[in-house]
Amino acid sequence: MLSDILQNRYAVTAVILFGVGFTNLMLQQNLLRKVIGFNIMDSAIFLLLASLGYIDGGVAPIVGDRGFDPLYINPIPSGLVLTGIVVSVSITAFSLALIQRIYRRYGTIEMRELLERAKKEDD
Amino acid sequence: MSKDRERARFTRRLTAWVDGEREPKDQTLFVMEQHPPRHVRQSEEEFQRREEDRLRKFFNWYPIAAAVICAVLVAILLTTVMSMPGFGEEDNPINNEVSDRYLEYGAEDTGSENVVTAMIIGYRGFDTLGESCVLFLAVAAVMILLLRDRKNTSELEVRQIERDEAEAMSHEDLILKQVAWVLIPFIFLFAIYVLLNGETSPGGGFSGGTILGAGLILFSAAFGFRRMQVLMNRRRYSAVRTFGLLLYGVLYGLYIFIGANGLPNYLTGMILLIDLAVGLVVACTMYGFYALFSRGEI
Amino acid sequence: MIVLEYILLIGVIVCAVAAPLCKRLLASVIVYMALSLLMAVLWSLLQSPDLAITEAAVGAGVTSILFFLTLKKIRELKGTDDE
Repeated sequence: MLSDILQNRYAVTAVILFGVGFTNLMLQQNLLRKVIGFNIMDSAIFLLLASLGYIDGGVAPIVGDRGFDPLYINPIPSGLVLTGIVVSVSITAFSLALIQRIYRRYGTIEMRELLERAKKEDD
Repeated sequence: MSKDRERARFTRRLTAWVDGEREPKDQTLFVMEQHPPRHVRQSEEEFQRREEDRLRKFFNWYPIAAAVICAVLVAILLTTVMSMPGFGEEDNPINNEVSDRYLEYGAEDTGSENVVTAMIIGYRGFDTLGESCVLFLAVAAVMILLLRDRKNTSELEVRQIERDEAEAMSHEDLILKQVAWVLIPFIFLFAIYVLLNGETSPGGGFSGGTILGAGLILFSAAFGFRRMQVLMNRRRYSAVRTFGLLLYGVLYGLYIFIGANGLPNYLTGMILLIDLAVGLVVACTMYGFYALFSRGEI
Repeated sequence: MIVLEYILLIGVIVCAVAAPLCKRLLASVIVYMALSLLMAVLWSLLQSPDLAITEAAVGAGVTSILFFLTLKKIRELKGTDDE
């Protein structure tokens, strides 16, 4: 059991991070903390993907004139994560902009007050 | 005759509806059967009380349900992880012939020694094209939400911004300014180095673009918005942003066309140019976010 | 090297747990920034320097600046006790 965990340490860390982020996303009342939880989930997924491509004793995939001799790590997950990181920034920026608008409209970013105020305005 | 008039009226109504001038509720655009209300409408207080009750019940049950869902999800994921192939072994199923092919022929096929750059710009350039569009649209969406103009800005906000600016002008941030004075040339130099050497060393469009954007943000924060306006105003900003995306589309289309038809490629540094286009888009995105967040204009 | 790996992984988990538990929003954002930096070191341990450069510039730089600007806009930057 313990040796399994130590063997798959990156994947286990990624799952724990994902759980922490998801719990925050669901349970926090503050919208800004929800966004932070979302970002932690992002990091977890990137960590899992990048650790899948790693090979023990491998070097970074810059071929140069070294040929195919040394062992290279898998370049595909790195490329995917590279695009993912930049997209996650734009997602964060968009949600923060939405939060600013919500604050300007309702004057709060606490979930509970927000729902009550929105309901009051509906009536 | 009457049919024509009927159609003209219909078109006019449709355009009015699309323009939002009028709601088509009881017009003939669509007809709904109208039931009489089934319940007798309860009194206002009753209604209010019931609503509050429902909200309270929701707030009582929501954390419990959410916690249960989170725990179950983590348990499922952990058991899945336990049966995953080991970390860092060479014969894992992910290290298949695709990555071997990229590593073996990547440098020949695309002329880029860094296989990650070769992959995201060369082999999977469509993916990157889509991502550039995502960044472009993200800036557009943030612009929709936060851009200030005469309609959505109150007097108070304008005065607040003017006061902030005057305060920043009157006692300048000496440490920030001096540090920025020393650091900014090096940041730009490093960004350009990373941007131009994406083929032979780690880096490339995304990394170089973000560093360039961070340098622009530091410049804007240290020397004020006015001086930034000299370097990059709104028209120039949108021109650069659109130019980057279009350049990427055109160059990558050319790249595919040449490669697919076996034509001789006279532009050997094609990957470099495409990388540069991606870098422009990313840098503009980063700076645009900062400008929109801090002042609401570019 | 493997000891460093364990330290970094545990540090990432600690940061992730601590970030939302901080009382002030500013502290949360700063702890999240630390998490990003730890991730950048992890990327370079996983032999992906491209990711390390990007994460260091994006996670610790641009994202945190956006968070700070939002905090300024929603007037939480002055240390208030009520939140």
